Amino acid sequence: MALLRETYLLLWKDLLLELRRRDSLLTMFFFGTLLLFVFHFSFDPAPEKVAAMAPALLWLAFLFTGTLGLAQLFHAERENHCLDALLLSPLDRGALFLAKSCFNLVLMVLVEIVVIPLFWILFNLRSWNLLPQLFLVTLLGTVGFCVLGTITSAITLRARARELLLPLVLFPLMIPVILATIRCMENVLRTGEFGDAIPWLRLLIGFDVIFLTVGVLIFDWVIES
Amino acid sequence: MHITVEKLAKAYGLLWALREINFELKPGEFVAILGPNGAGKTTLLRILAGLVLPTGGSVRLDGAMLSRGTTALRTKIGFLAPADHLYENLTVKENLHFFTSLYHQKKNFDAINQALKTVNLTDRAGEYVVNLSSGMKCRLSIAKWQLLQPDVLLLDEPYGVLDGSGVDLLEGFLQGQCAEGRIVVVASHHVSRVLKISSRALILNQGRLTFDEVKREPWPNFDKAYGEFLPHGESWRS
Repeated sequence: MALLRETYLLLWKDLLLELRRRDSLLTMFFFGTLLLFVFHFSFDPAPEKVAAMAPALLWLAFLFTGTLGLAQLFHAERENHCLDALLLSPLDRGALFLAKSCFNLVLMVLVEIVVIPLFWILFNLRSWNLLPQLFLVTLLGTVGFCVLGTITSAITLRARARELLLPLVLFPLMIPVILATIRCMENVLRTGEFGDAIPWLRLLIGFDVIFLTVGVLIFDWVIES
Repeated sequence: MHITVEKLAKAYGLLWALREINFELKPGEFVAILGPNGAGKTTLLRILAGLVLPTGGSVRLDGAMLSRGTTALRTKIGFLAPADHLYENLTVKENLHFFTSLYHQKKNFDAINQALKTVNLTDRAGEYVVNLSSGMKCRLSIAKWQLLQPDVLLLDEPYGVLDGSGVDLLEGFLQGQCAEGRIVVVASHHVSRVLKISSRALILNQGRLTFDEVKREPWPNFDKAYGEFLPHGESWRS
């Protein structure tokens, strides 16, 4: 219970700071929509081809947008050595990991809520009825991204070129999540159901559960090293 | 609370910041850590705070080793960094509320208001910390640790940002902590000021503990030990 209480406290603090500064959310939102417009002007394929390309294009946008958010994840803690203030406290380090992952998840979901429908409008896709399933898959993929992103963001926190190092460490580790998410989304867009993509969906859920657990257990070592 | 430091060593790469440090701190002691730049004062404080892991040796709090994962022990240690450890885009009151909750000491608004009154920040309670001067941030840090009441309070160069009344406030607070049996450890270059209120002095030089004595008057050993770090012909009393 103490873990959840501390997670809530840290999440409240991060959301309050973001509400006041709005740098991460606005940057992510504008970058995400900008990428969609770049894709829109770069490709002009037939709607059936777009449906095949949509998952990859969307995840390309989410990856770059999410990386911007991750680069800012510990920004408040870097100011005034506030990370030291947190590490000095009896706070469970797992709570810090959960709060940062949840905070990043909130930002990503807010961006996705705008970006996915905008993609459908820009590329004139008609499969609006499939959006709930696609949102579910995207959410599972985003959880994986946020969990792994928080761990790698903490690992690179004290590195000099952390903004450059973060994607170099994160992207290779993200391959299973990206692959599983894209395969699931492709299947849903092609057949209207998960069908053959169920093993990929299981992989995605397994990945999320494993890295969420690993993150809580090892964050103490990661953040204090 | 007793602190035992044994054979403490810290290396950054090939550079030894601390070597073979041994001392004990007893309840109610007010210890000044002195020495030239790069002597290892801040490293020692950060190890005592549990923020840096030593390369060798140990720090024990009432016999329990301070290491990674000993979160329960951390409620007993405070680190007052004059203008740091505060969230700039939270208000003065929100910072106090956040940190007291983090230490599982959720204080009611009366306690927070009282702490702010003590440090003369009542009329700034709703202001963002980013708008405060360094001296005011230090006052806020004093209020924070006044609410959290740790058994050991560590301070790194606290005098630089405070005005006259701020110094009085800080010294009154620290003396009050010692009177209640808590340990206060201050690292500072303001030798005459810190020695005025401390009960013991440690001198570090190039990572080694070169002096450790309880304060007395006159104090020729200290004059001799600290004299080598002063400009020629000057006394630390001046």
